[in-house]
Amino acid sequence: MRILRLFSWFVISLSMVAACTQVQPWERGYLAKKEMGWDADVLEGALNDHIYFSKEASSGGNNAAGGGCGCN
Amino acid sequence: MKLIKSRSLIALSTTALALPGIAHADAPPVQNTLSYKISNYKEDDLSRREVVFGDLGRYDIDVHQFQLVAPFTRNTSLHIDANVEIMSGASPWFTTAGLDGQPLVNLSGASGIRDRRAEISIGGKYYLENGSVGGNIGYSEEDDYRAVYIGLSGERHFNSDMTTVAVGFSHSSDKLFPTDAELFNRVIEADKRTTSALVSVSQIINQVSTFQTALSITEQSGFLSDPYKLRDVRPQHKTQFSWTSSYRRFFIGADAAWHINYRLYHDDFGISSHTVDMAWHQNISRSWQLVPTLRYYSQSAADFFTNVDDSLNPLTHYQSSDYRLSAFGAISGGISLITDLGDWTATLTAERYIANEKYSVYQVSQPSTALVRYFRISLGVDYSF
Amino acid sequence: MGSYCEIQLYDESRINAKQLTRRLVAEVIRLEQKYSRFRNDSFVAEINSSAGNKLGIKIDRETRSLFNHALSCFEQSDGLFDITAGALNRIWDFKQARVPTQEEIDELLPFVGYHKLSFTKSRLSLPAGMEIDFGGIVKEYAADTAAKLGRSLGITHGLVNLGGDFAVIGPQPDAQPWTIGIVNPKQADSLMAKIDLLDGGLASSGDYERCFMHQGKRYSHILNPKTGWPGSGLRAASVAANLCTVAGSMATIAMLREETDGVSWLRESSLSHVYMTSDEQIGGIGLHQ
Repeated sequence: MRILRLFSWFVISLSMVAACTQVQPWERGYLAKKEMGWDADVLEGALNDHIYFSKEASSGGNNAAGGGCGCN
Repeated sequence: MKLIKSRSLIALSTTALALPGIAHADAPPVQNTLSYKISNYKEDDLSRREVVFGDLGRYDIDVHQFQLVAPFTRNTSLHIDANVEIMSGASPWFTTAGLDGQPLVNLSGASGIRDRRAEISIGGKYYLENGSVGGNIGYSEEDDYRAVYIGLSGERHFNSDMTTVAVGFSHSSDKLFPTDAELFNRVIEADKRTTSALVSVSQIINQVSTFQTALSITEQSGFLSDPYKLRDVRPQHKTQFSWTSSYRRFFIGADAAWHINYRLYHDDFGISSHTVDMAWHQNISRSWQLVPTLRYYSQSAADFFTNVDDSLNPLTHYQSSDYRLSAFGAISGGISLITDLGDWTATLTAERYIANEKYSVYQVSQPSTALVRYFRISLGVDYSF
Repeated sequence: MGSYCEIQLYDESRINAKQLTRRLVAEVIRLEQKYSRFRNDSFVAEINSSAGNKLGIKIDRETRSLFNHALSCFEQSDGLFDITAGALNRIWDFKQARVPTQEEIDELLPFVGYHKLSFTKSRLSLPAGMEIDFGGIVKEYAADTAAKLGRSLGITHGLVNLGGDFAVIGPQPDAQPWTIGIVNPKQADSLMAKIDLLDGGLASSGDYERCFMHQGKRYSHILNPKTGWPGSGLRAASVAANLCTVAGSMATIAMLREETDGVSWLRESSLSHVYMTSDEQIGGIGLHQ
């Protein structure tokens, strides 16, 4: 049941994607800024994922999981 | 937008927009970037009230991260990652009930733990007209643990590059061989496999905001228990689901970018969790940026979590007193100061993390001891050449 | 590129702006070196020297997409905008102001015609005697490429001008459009119009420099590839569009058409434009007042 709800959240969020106005390539200056990236600082993101993974039960996010470690 | 009436204009625009210098086609990075980050984080000491014997100090960890991203050929790039982690300290060994029935934690041997983890991963990415495909292989080694993994990823842009669909797959094959196994009657050698798949959709909403939603499924099998705990018996399979959604917005007036991510997680150990994290990337001048971050996390307990190990249960009975399987909440806050000097970028980060059963949004029937608190400090340097 | 070029970028840090400018310039130079007809070491020279080779020559993705755009220009202009017209340059020498004979022209016409090129997946076969000239496309493409690179480096206000072909990155820092003066073909020191650009590009085509008078007749460097003779079209046309490359193709096609066709071609596009007819009348829409 919980899993089904999780899936439906994913599907609902997908439908939000459809309702957007066209942004021309030359109008994407702000979006191209480094701080607007999904992972503005890759090493910082990887470090956080690793530390939280070793302290908490949850994992999984925007990147497919990397290698295992004996920390969890 | 003006309505384009002329068919010729459409024809000319179409071929012009397909030119590689104009098209939003993915391209390898223009420069080599070498990054290094050193971090130290130290868990707060436990109080004697909570510890029966052993050191009060817990983990003190140094992490060194290296990364090289380099254009390789016209359409490919090369990524090399290396990490070294040096841990010292103690970790919870077993818990007992104190005289008043409160759980007490017993930290591993007086000598403590000293371990080193080294990891290397090499990957490549091939850039196509409308996306990219990539792969990597990696190897990680500790005194008592070894992992070999591969990853594959691909992404494709649609809808005039307004939409990006990405998929990822990874597999890790791990082996654990606990130290002093015979002495303490631990498992001598065991295997663990993790397979994970992910799909994400990113969308440009308007000139200043983007949205991403992702679903990932991870399947683990093999020895999932903690070999160092006296009584830690977990199922041999675990399936994890997570749904993540992320939003980025740029505020032109403030010259700042706002990041917010939310993750919902469930697994068949019975653990569910919510994670919300935010960051505000404030440009102070062209070369300085200040980034405060805030994160909230809360999880429910695993079905078989117990805060007091019960040695009388048969070995087939699932039980674990690992605090990471208990219900708790965690709040963390941090701040980064970034300076961009053209070819050089330096980042200084400090973060405080506090886990507490009181922060949980889930019901806490058995509070765990030994919930962590830590303070982290990092210094990162990027050099482009 | 043999003409006046400028790049203006706005950045709070002078050092940064300089570095960014250098990267944009490097990209423009890369394209110039690759596609210039006037360099012996360019890729275009390599293509031209492959003429007659049965095996053809391997072309990369960028060159392939330039050919695709050239085909689009060829089709939309009913064969007037032809990058294989290069062979005619052998007899039309605009520096020496010499008018070739009809016999000379007739000898060369078999070596002109885009449809004579044949492509396989990654190779081009250029028939013997033929020549490619990306002159009418590459400068505009380079301006767009530099602007695109600037945007991807986080620049929000900037202007790239490669010899009168403009690509701008957003408006000026004070949110005002860039006002671009269009030189009067008759008088190089005066303007015939101004066009405002908020984003996108502007390109001009005209017999500003390369033309000559011979026995009272004006010979423009814009040759009709079908007849081998200069056309009898507009004297100059400037167009603003979402891309400099599109603007350049629109302006060149306007110039190649017969005068009245050229004017209606520009009108139908609904783009901002300005033109001068052979009797020196100036017209256009979307002009800065």
